Amino acid sequence: MIKLFTATSALTLCIATAASAGDAPSKADVLNTYANIAEAKYDDSLIAAKSLQAAVAALIAEPSDANLNAARAAWVAARVPYQQTEVYRFGNAIVDDWEGKVNAWPLDEGLIDYVDAAYGGATDENEFAVLNVIANPSFELSGETVDAAEITPELLADTLHEADGIEANVATGYHAIEFLLWGQDMNGHGAGAGNRPWTDFAQGDDCTGGNCDRRAQYLSAATDLLVSDLEWMAAQWQEGGDARAALTENEDAGVSAILTGMGSLSYGEQAGERMRLGLMLNDPEEEHDCFSDNTHNSHYYDGLGIQNVYLGNYVRIDGTPVQGASLSDLVVAADPALDIEMKAKLSNTMQALGRLKSTAEAGFAYDQMLEAGNAGGEALIMGGVNGLVDQTKTIERIVAVLELDQIEFEGSDSLDNPDAVFH
Amino acid sequence: MRTTVFATALLIPLTAFAQDRGPILLDVTETHVLPRFAELSEATQALVNTAQSDCVPSSTALRKDYSTAFDAWISASHLRFGPSETDDRAFALAFWPDTKGFTPKTLSKLITSEDASVQDPDAFAEQSIAGRGFFALERLLYDPSFEEQGSAEYRCSLIQAIAADIDRNADAINVDWQSYAPKLTQPGEDSPYRDGDEAMQELYKALLTGLQFTADTRLGRPMGTFDKPRPNRAEARRSERSQRHVELSLIALRDLAARLSFDHPEIAADLDAAFSKSIDRVQSLEDPAFADVATPQGRFRLEALQQSINDIRQIAVTELGPTLGINAGFNSLDGD
Repeated sequence: MIKLFTATSALTLCIATAASAGDAPSKADVLNTYANIAEAKYDDSLIAAKSLQAAVAALIAEPSDANLNAARAAWVAARVPYQQTEVYRFGNAIVDDWEGKVNAWPLDEGLIDYVDAAYGGATDENEFAVLNVIANPSFELSGETVDAAEITPELLADTLHEADGIEANVATGYHAIEFLLWGQDMNGHGAGAGNRPWTDFAQGDDCTGGNCDRRAQYLSAATDLLVSDLEWMAAQWQEGGDARAALTENEDAGVSAILTGMGSLSYGEQAGERMRLGLMLNDPEEEHDCFSDNTHNSHYYDGLGIQNVYLGNYVRIDGTPVQGASLSDLVVAADPALDIEMKAKLSNTMQALGRLKSTAEAGFAYDQMLEAGNAGGEALIMGGVNGLVDQTKTIERIVAVLELDQIEFEGSDSLDNPDAVFH
Repeated sequence: MRTTVFATALLIPLTAFAQDRGPILLDVTETHVLPRFAELSEATQALVNTAQSDCVPSSTALRKDYSTAFDAWISASHLRFGPSETDDRAFALAFWPDTKGFTPKTLSKLITSEDASVQDPDAFAEQSIAGRGFFALERLLYDPSFEEQGSAEYRCSLIQAIAADIDRNADAINVDWQSYAPKLTQPGEDSPYRDGDEAMQELYKALLTGLQFTADTRLGRPMGTFDKPRPNRAEARRSERSQRHVELSLIALRDLAARLSFDHPEIAADLDAAFSKSIDRVQSLEDPAFADVATPQGRFRLEALQQSINDIRQIAVTELGPTLGINAGFNSLDGD
């Protein structure tokens, strides 16, 4: 299947591309596979988010322990394809500009709903850290009165999200929904995730936590918004979509974008911000999915997304394979030993992240691993960090071997978007 | 205009032929890197000695040695690879920005519980990085909200423990650099750097990351947006060191840039002129804690300074990198 596809596309495209070494696939083919996988991953994320939406609707219509658990299970399932898309984020401006709506983290959850007293109040950084929209139909925000009598997707997206210009004011996306389904994890470094009772969604006298109607409204609005945001992104990767067009505009820049996404996610974002920092701070809430204790899966599927983009081979949530000419093929043609090195390092990382995942699933949760002086937990997390750092080194070597000119550095407004600075 | 220059530069192929990296690697290591970590280790030793005999937060001697040691760290803080990354040493020396207020929280917890790790350097080294290093010490020396917390005796022990931990990390980095230096200057089999290009990339990356951190974080965080400047986010504002850190980092990066561009006098001259402009700008400010960022004029001055640093980055990315045949690669600031 792979070979057939590569051969056919090589035939059709060899005229268009300049002479390439050996049997290297054309860059156009590699970009096409990369875009096809993006399209499939965002479509899978959308399908899974719609299941979540249905589960949330059932929970709100008929609050019960079983329906709350079903919604939680749908959320966990929805993260599987979504996390695999994160490798697209840093290489593609259209994704990076959008992703804050769906996956912003960390958040000051007191903005959304009630929190424990130990959470504290407004901070130096964020005066709205305990705004609690669910309990307040009207409030002041940056000198203006906000009418929040009805909690709508528009209120969340346009007014509350990143309120006051603060990134920790996360009002939308997976983690806002996660907080509403699980609640705060009050177990510290002990076992157990957030334990919001289903009665937080019960109407009438059974309601706990107050304002159950508004909590249900919030959850419903946030889930609807997630679905519509994913719909938009999935469309950008379809034939003729803007993301695909931007990627293929310049082939070298396109291949460079693949590597930028892989390297930036591996190193600065996942190994640094998400894994090592939490370990150094020994803070149980400094984990990516802190309410649900699903962090091990988030890390695992981030890593898997990096690997399957390199190999040009993704398996959809219904089992359908999406594959074709890959970056790996391109590297084989330029430097076969380097391709072997990359594959070995990606699989080392997956082994380390797999160990972290299997240990967490056996009952040793990520927040327990973060505890100061917990040598076993530290070794598990650092195994993942070291794998990710090590693979970044090889990604840099690939950039050099493929002679892709200057790779852009991400996360920097001034260089990604010169207009932002040099206006 | 500049936009065009930048966009075109992305397509300039890197110089393909091999360049002899030896002399520059040796020069940077011996005259830029090693002396900085030696100086840091000396300055932190003085800080420990003073803290042992005088742990009163307002003490002039203590504050002076704190300031000298912090200066030495800032002047070396762009060299984030190898020994500084072992055992999270650099993170433990300087945890900033602290976007979620971990440092005051961690310190309060230590003080309230009178945590015994202050008596045991090994145990203290296991504490969260947020409760260690120069920024934790700044809170204890300069933040009035810590003047009354817990007992004076415990606060004294905590100050001494943090100073000792800073010194321990600074010493470890300095000692390790003695054996790491040959890895950088003689890349190959026994080195994490496969060849001279990779070693050179490490140094080039240190330059770019240093510039990026100073422009985007040291200046960008307090600048916030025009409508909402954030003076409270300035680095080390309590000890009024924000402006000083920008100046020190630019001086250190200028030295590195000059050494990296040594073989290319025209680029060296461009870089030097750009650094000179930036350093003049920061030296002409009279705003040690960047408090003036709250006023339109104050913000405008920081914006101009930031722009001048971005001009340096522009030269480094479009002229120096391609001429050296080195890619920027990835750094820790990639991501959010």
